[in-house]
Amino acid sequence: MTATIAEFFEGDLAPLVRRMADRPRGEGGDTDDDRRETRAMVWEGLVGLGALDGDDATGLAELLGSVLYQGPLLDTLTARALFPDAGLGQAPVALAAGEPTEADGTVSARCDFVGFADEVEHFAVVGGERSALVRAGHPSITTRRHEETGRGELHRVDFAGTPVTAWAGRPDWEGARVRQAAYLVGLAQAALDHAVDYATTRRQFGRAIGANQALSFRLAEMSMRVDAARLLVHDPGTPAHAAATLGEVADLARTVTTATMQIHGAAGMRSDDDAQLYYRRAAAESVRLPQPRG
Amino acid sequence: MTGFREEVCALLCEDAVRSEIAQTRRLPYGQESGLLDVHRRLGKLGWLAINWPERYGGSGATIVEKAIVTEEMIRHGVPENVHSLGVDIVGNAINLMGTDEQKERYLPGLARGETTANVLFSEPDVGSDLGSLAARAEPDGDGYRLTGRKIYNMKAQHSDFALCAARTSTGPVNYAGITLFLVPLHSLGTVIEPVWNLSEERFDLITLDGIRIGREDVLGEVDDGWQVLNRVLPFERTGLDHSAKAERTLAALREHAPPGCGDRLARLETRVRAARLLAWRCIANLHEGRPDEIHSATAKWYTSETAKEVSVAAVELLGPRALLDARDPDAIADGLFDAAFREAPGLTLAQGSSEIMLYFVATSKLGLPS
Repeated sequence: MTATIAEFFEGDLAPLVRRMADRPRGEGGDTDDDRRETRAMVWEGLVGLGALDGDDATGLAELLGSVLYQGPLLDTLTARALFPDAGLGQAPVALAAGEPTEADGTVSARCDFVGFADEVEHFAVVGGERSALVRAGHPSITTRRHEETGRGELHRVDFAGTPVTAWAGRPDWEGARVRQAAYLVGLAQAALDHAVDYATTRRQFGRAIGANQALSFRLAEMSMRVDAARLLVHDPGTPAHAAATLGEVADLARTVTTATMQIHGAAGMRSDDDAQLYYRRAAAESVRLPQPRG
Repeated sequence: MTGFREEVCALLCEDAVRSEIAQTRRLPYGQESGLLDVHRRLGKLGWLAINWPERYGGSGATIVEKAIVTEEMIRHGVPENVHSLGVDIVGNAINLMGTDEQKERYLPGLARGETTANVLFSEPDVGSDLGSLAARAEPDGDGYRLTGRKIYNMKAQHSDFALCAARTSTGPVNYAGITLFLVPLHSLGTVIEPVWNLSEERFDLITLDGIRIGREDVLGEVDDGWQVLNRVLPFERTGLDHSAKAERTLAALREHAPPGCGDRLARLETRVRAARLLAWRCIANLHEGRPDEIHSATAKWYTSETAKEVSVAAVELLGPRALLDARDPDAIADGLFDAAFREAPGLTLAQGSSEIMLYFVATSKLGLPS
C-alpha cells in the first residue's frame, strides 16, 4: 500500500502536495480554494489507495512527511483506532485536544491547533478522562483559523455543549507519537535531500559549496542521524518509548531544517524555495502533539 | 553612562512609542514599516546617529552612546533594519569614508530619521563571494553607467538611495576593481521587484539598467571598494544587534516558559550573557580605535548563533503557542516568538555568514592552512 501511495505522489503532484496547505502572505499566487481542491483530490486518492486500512501506518506516515503532506490523515488514523465502532466510514476526522467538560451527553472545550477543522466531518475531542466524538458543522461549534508560523490549516475550535455521538477512553498517544515521529523522519530526509541538491549545484569561490568539508561533514552527520531515527521509529520496541522518540526526532527535524536554511543562504528564505517550507513545517509538526515533560 | 541609557529607555517606554511599535507588528501581510515617529523623535534629539558630528545631525558622542541607543531600540522592539541599514551601515560608511559633499548631502537626513538607504551587494549568483560580483560600472563621460542585478536587499521601497558595489575593472585579484557607489533608487532605469520570503520584510530584486551616476557618487576610491568595506565591517560586525535580539527573545521566553525548563533557560541565559560581553568587547575596541577582526568575527558568529538558538528553543519549550503570529488574537508576547523564529535563519547569513566567520577564525586566529 505504501509503495502504491509513493507512486501516487511522484511526478507533477509532488510540488502541489508540498504547498497544498501553505497560504501565501500578501504575495499573490494560488487562492485558498485552489488549495482546498488539491487537498480534496489528495484525500480521495489516499483513501482510494487504502491509506485508512491501517497496515504499515508508520511507513505511510514517513512517506507523508517526505512529501510534506498536510491533511487530516494522521488524525483520522488515531481517531479510527479510538472509535472503531462508530461507523466512521472514510470520513476525515480531526483531533481536538483541550480540557473538555461533559454535561448531558454534550461536550464543551476550547481546543487550539486543530488541523483542517473546516474540512473534516468529525472531531475527536480529547484531553479528558473520556474522548468524545462529535459531528462537525453543529451550530455549537465555532472555528477560527490561526495565524501562525506554519501558515497552514490550524484552527482554534470552540465546542459549546456539542452533542456527542460516541464516547471512548483516552487515545493511543503512543501510536500517534510514533506516526508523528515517522512523519518527521520523512520531513527531515526530504529537507536533507533538498540541502544536498543545493550544496552540489551552488558554486561560490570557484567550486560547489558542498566541496567544503565544513558543510559536507555537517550534511553527512545529519544523514547518519536521520538514518538512526528511521530505524528507531520502525523498531517494534519504540511504542514503549514513544514520547522520548518523538522528542528526539522533533529535535532532529528542527536541526536539519535549520541547517538546510543555512546551507541555502538567502535563497532558502524565498517563498518560492522549499527550504523555508521545510523549516516552518518542521516547527509546526515538531510540537503538534502533546509532549509530556519531566 | 547609566543616566543616558535611562533617558533612552524612558523615551522608548512612552505610550505613544509603544503603541506605534505594536502597530507595526500587526500590519497586513505584505506591508512593512519604514521610518517611524520614534526614529524621528530620536533624530530630533540627535540620538539616532549620536556619534556623528553635530553638523551632520549627530551629537558628537562616541560609539559607546551609539551602541546604547541601538541596544535599547532592539530591546524595546523598535523595527531595526530600516535604521541599521540607513544609519549603521550606509550612513556610517559615508561618515567614515565619504567626501564633505557626500556627508552634507546624505547624513543630515539619515540622522534626523527622515531618509534611509539600503545596501546593494548580493547578486543572484553572488553571496558570500563578493569578489565575483557581475554588476558593472562603465565609464561614461565624467561619470559611469551602472548595469547589473542586485537581490536579497531590504527596504528598497522605503529607501531614497543605496550603497551599491560594482566592478569598475578586472584583474588577477577578484577583490580589486570593485567600487562602491551611492546611487539613487527611484529613477528611470531602476526596476524594483519584490521577492517575498520567510521574514516579515520583503527582499527586492533591483535591476539597474545603465543608470547614470557621477564621479562624485563614488564612495572612497575607484577600484578600491574592498578597502572601504574593510574599514566599515568592524562597525557592522559587533554582534550587538544580535545579542540584543537574543536578550529580548529570552526575556519573553522566561516569562512564558512552563515549569521544568529551568536548566535549559539557565544555559541559554549564560550564552546570551556571553554574547553581550563579546559584542561590547567589539564596541570597546572601536571606542579605543583598535578594531579587531578576530573579535568581530567571534562576536558576529557567537551572537547570531545564540540568537538563532534562543528562537528555535522557544518553539521547542513553548510548543505551538510560540508559533502564533502577532495578528492572531491568541498570540503570546505579541507574536514575538513567531517573528524571531522566522527572522532567525537570516541572522547567521547577513553581514557575513557563520561559515565565513568560522573560516576567518580558523585561518587567522588558529593559523590553520587555508
